[in-house]
Amino acid sequence: MLASADLQQLLARVAQGDRAAFRQLYDATAPSLFGVALRILRHRDRAEEVLQDAFVNAWNRAAGYQAALSQPMTWLTAIVRNRALDELRSGARHSAQSLDEREDAAAPEIEDERADPLGLLEQAADALAIRDCLDAIDGPQRQCLALVYYHGLSHSEVAGHVGSPIGSVKVWLRRGLEKLKRCLGALA
Amino acid sequence: MNYDRAELLDRLAAEYVFGTMSARVRRRFQVIQRTLPAAKHAVEAWERRLTPLARSVPPAAPSAAAWDAIDRRTGGQPSRSAAPAFAWLAWLKPVLGVAVGVVATLGLVRLYPSAVVNVDAIVQQRGTLPESYVGLLTDGANNPVVLASSTRHGRTMSIKILRKVDVPPGKVLQLWALPKEGAAFPLGVVPSEGKGAFQLADTSEKLLSSVPRLAISVEDAAAGRGAAPAPYLLSGNCVKLW
Repeated sequence: MLASADLQQLLARVAQGDRAAFRQLYDATAPSLFGVALRILRHRDRAEEVLQDAFVNAWNRAAGYQAALSQPMTWLTAIVRNRALDELRSGARHSAQSLDEREDAAAPEIEDERADPLGLLEQAADALAIRDCLDAIDGPQRQCLALVYYHGLSHSEVAGHVGSPIGSVKVWLRRGLEKLKRCLGALA
Repeated sequence: MNYDRAELLDRLAAEYVFGTMSARVRRRFQVIQRTLPAAKHAVEAWERRLTPLARSVPPAAPSAAAWDAIDRRTGGQPSRSAAPAFAWLAWLKPVLGVAVGVVATLGLVRLYPSAVVNVDAIVQQRGTLPESYVGLLTDGANNPVVLASSTRHGRTMSIKILRKVDVPPGKVLQLWALPKEGAAFPLGVVPSEGKGAFQLADTSEKLLSSVPRLAISVEDAAAGRGAAPAPYLLSGNCVKLW
């Protein structure tokens, strides 16, 4: 992965229509972004569609990217996550699938490297030096946060996964997000 | 804005970025973001907060086809990977492409008559309008008169006349593209009432990507490439619907 400043330079060139820079940007960021989409969608073809849409979107919107407002990787990841969540939530083709079916269908595609979502949240917290703050969030709240953020689970899917009523899950998520906001506040 | 509303926007933005909103609420909130800067800013703040959490996700390699598709969709050159020895086959591609397309379409229509694509179906499925260029031309009193629209990668310009236009006998209404830079160029002739459509010289994306305005003039005949327009009767913004 290139440094943020290098990515910024590439984005500035992409905004001028520089195709070589666009390819460099893709090579440098696509694996990370594809990983994010794949984890949410659990399906290679759908994740690749989302990746394509996101890069086409980035190409068209590069001129509007504001370095002062967000890091390039933040900007790109947000595009990918939004598109992946739209695709997941649209549910036109997959609404009838339960979480278990999704996991089964995805199992051969993301294999053993699929860390549990709570593990990913803890890794991220370590990397961002907010582990103490994260550990102060109650266990069920942390679990719900991780399931939603990394796997894109809906309220009802989370409720099914952790075996708790949907009302409790909503409360946990809202409180968890408030606490997470305080943990991450300094980074924003 | 009062405090309650700011707090509500912040909570909605958090749910949007985090991913707990349903499809319907997501779409609604996307519209709000486009119209309410405070909502957009709240979303951006949550994106800055939460995106660092994605760094722990293991990377995965997309297939080579993903880049090829991106390159093609952003107007890059088609892949040159074909061996030169087979270059003479290139002319066959469009012919084969059309043939395969016709066969596939016939098959699809036979199997799923209801699946014949129309804009309504796309909107139903995607929940959004298809990517399109849309122009709304108004008269001197700012009345909307002509609606021109074309899908982004399509070559058909659809016209709807919202208010009948009086055209002198023997004259035509010529639609022009007014690019950011350079001279206006003709797109096609539009009817004076009802609806119509005409074929564009290229895809909308090629023709209109840097055209912020459209205009209509009364001409003796359809204008050719390089012709200069008569004074404009109607004009309006041309926007990208995506």
